[in-house]
Amino acid sequence: MERAMTQSLRGSVHLVSDPRNLDASVIEVFHLMLGVRTERGPVPLTVEPESVTAVVGFGGVMSGACVFRSGGSAAMKIAAHMTGMDFSEIDDTVKDAIGEICNMLAGSWKGKVPELAANCGLSVPAVITGRDYKLHVQAPEFRLQHGFKFDDASFDVTIICDGLQ
Amino acid sequence: MSEIRTLIVDDSSVMRKIVERALRQAGLDPMVVHEAGSGIEGLEVLKAKQIDLILSDINMPSMDGLEFLRQLRAQNLAPGVPVVMITTESSEEHVRQAIQAGAQGYIRKPFTAEQVKERVLPLVHAA
Repeated sequence: MERAMTQSLRGSVHLVSDPRNLDASVIEVFHLMLGVRTERGPVPLTVEPESVTAVVGFGGVMSGACVFRSGGSAAMKIAAHMTGMDFSEIDDTVKDAIGEICNMLAGSWKGKVPELAANCGLSVPAVITGRDYKLHVQAPEFRLQHGFKFDDASFDVTIICDGLQ
Repeated sequence: MSEIRTLIVDDSSVMRKIVERALRQAGLDPMVVHEAGSGIEGLEVLKAKQIDLILSDINMPSMDGLEFLRQLRAQNLAPGVPVVMITTESSEEHVRQAIQAGAQGYIRKPFTAEQVKERVLPLVHAA
């Protein structure tokens, strides 16, 4: 049974890495949780002094991570849409909001492929803020990185798969 | 409608506020909301307060939502009180585990206020 499931996921790698799933997940999460319409935008982002990165890990039949990254102003705008509050700094509520967005993006993305939905778990989100940091992953199995925008805010979402059973 | 005493368990304070807002939009008003940031905190609230409705995330540090549900049933806290899981995990297996642990409802994040209304209100009215 497990062997059949594993073979099935390997055979579904084209579905797992389908870039349309990432776009659909972003559109769905931002529409339902923020009430905004997102569209594909440029990568990399406009440089801002401070940026926010949220990471949710995948474990199980696929290992890797979903990474959300934006400048501080976009992060505050997203948090404002989610909470109805205004923000002038990247405080704990903004970090919490971005962590939850990343969590929902990861859940929505893996939910597009039944084998992943059933056999891949999510970590709790980790949120990093600061300047001049980079996230390195060595030789991923595949990597999807898409930029998005809504109103004047931009962000990018990356799916990194570093192991697929 | 009398005041609904609701417990929302989620490690994200933002999500707790969003769930509360969705419940009010769904028509659960008047409502008193108690918040807990983990399953452990949720059990403490249940030991101290009378609650009519519980909504809980699954994926939380310290004590996850499924263990919270098992513990509250094992300790006979809030007997007969409907529990709805709100989570990013959406597979049949996760739903089965939640129902097996004693949940009456399951809502996948992201959600709409309409989904909350459809899945929560009947449970509140039936309780």
